Amino acid sequence: MSETIRVEVAAELSAFTPVRLVLGGLGTRLEFSVEQLEDLYLATEHLFRAVLRAEELARFGVEMRLDDGALWFSAGPFTSRELREEIEPAAPDGACLDLCRLLRTTCDEVQVAESDGAYRVVLVKGRRSPA
Amino acid sequence: MTPHDDRRPNDPLDLEALPGQRRPLDDDDDGVGEPRKPDTKGRGRDESDKLDQYLLRRYHLYGDRKAREQLITMYLPLVRSLARRYASRGEHFDDLVQVGAIGLIKAIDRFDLERGVELTTYATPNIVGEIKRYFRDKGWSVRVPRGLQELNIRLNKVIDELVPKLQRSPTIQELAEAASATPEEVLEALETSQAYNSVSLQASPNGEGGEEDAGLIDYLGSDEEAYDTMEDRTTLAPGFAKLDKRERYILHLRFFEGLTQSQIAERVGISQMHVSRLIRRSLEKLREEIGDVDNPDPSLLARRGE
Repeated sequence: MSETIRVEVAAELSAFTPVRLVLGGLGTRLEFSVEQLEDLYLATEHLFRAVLRAEELARFGVEMRLDDGALWFSAGPFTSRELREEIEPAAPDGACLDLCRLLRTTCDEVQVAESDGAYRVVLVKGRRSPA
Repeated sequence: MTPHDDRRPNDPLDLEALPGQRRPLDDDDDGVGEPRKPDTKGRGRDESDKLDQYLLRRYHLYGDRKAREQLITMYLPLVRSLARRYASRGEHFDDLVQVGAIGLIKAIDRFDLERGVELTTYATPNIVGEIKRYFRDKGWSVRVPRGLQELNIRLNKVIDELVPKLQRSPTIQELAEAASATPEEVLEALETSQAYNSVSLQASPNGEGGEEDAGLIDYLGSDEEAYDTMEDRTTLAPGFAKLDKRERYILHLRFFEGLTQSQIAERVGISQMHVSRLIRRSLEKLREEIGDVDNPDPSLLARRGE
């Protein structure tokens, strides 16, 4: 089963609400548990906040895809070096509950995918992940 | 200072002048009928009243904090008994006990030795009043249709029932079936929990903020020792100092130990939904403290060598 939903959202926190609803619907179809959905909400919300802080965008794209028992969430394109360093810091701080740790705890995979001189942030949450 | 530290010959407050030290009370009250009074374990009412009076005098006349703590411990079964009456209204029993304990502590602190009433008589309306106030104050921060509010409350109960039964967190479909709702309704109702205020149970019992005033968490809960076993690196993490012990412990388990909410719930002895709320609240606190979880403060960047 593969299905993709693409939306363009305003770069403001209120725009996260419809994204949550779509995630909830797709997660339900994958038979995600309540905890898995909450993890996904937590990860995407904090990514959303980081984007709003680091990027000066009016809008950006969000893609949500069901593929092979996993939900793929992708946002971008972004160019901010600061955002990228928060997601994949060169030297992770073991004592810090930062975005990097939060995303890696709540998602199965966190990727930064190059895209025409910019990048997209990809989060993957599988049906079989813990919880 | 213990009750014996400054004992003098013929001290009217001498504990040994009493028929005996009351044994701790158990907590097997089923909540049916009258609330359990703290004098039912092999000790007569007179003896219990004498011990109450002794401890109240120790606290009010001599400032003996241990006497106060002993009274709190002795009367927690009464709090639990009263809290149980309200536990079916959608709030967690543990939360109600903690709120009721605020009423108990207020009653002990405000007790007038000259009035000649029993502490039980004075404490009961205080405890019940605090629990009722909790229900009244615990409102919804945004307008949520009553049907969704009710479904949200129902879902909290259903989740609490399903987690131990399934040995995992339930799916939306399972919740929908158990709550006789559609998956869409379940998703919508779970969304409304974002709009639900939660009363801080970490407040000082007397509502003041002095360092000597322990939070309720210091009086209640069975796992407190575990809160102190976190590795120092977690405790020192930016913003963590602003969190209370239990919040730090839960974030440590979730983000540094990798435990799931259900596993944390089992370890800490609260429900998974409660863990979820505590994680959300703690992260909000961290955001307020260090600007944003996603927006580290300059000192944090400096630590990273940036």
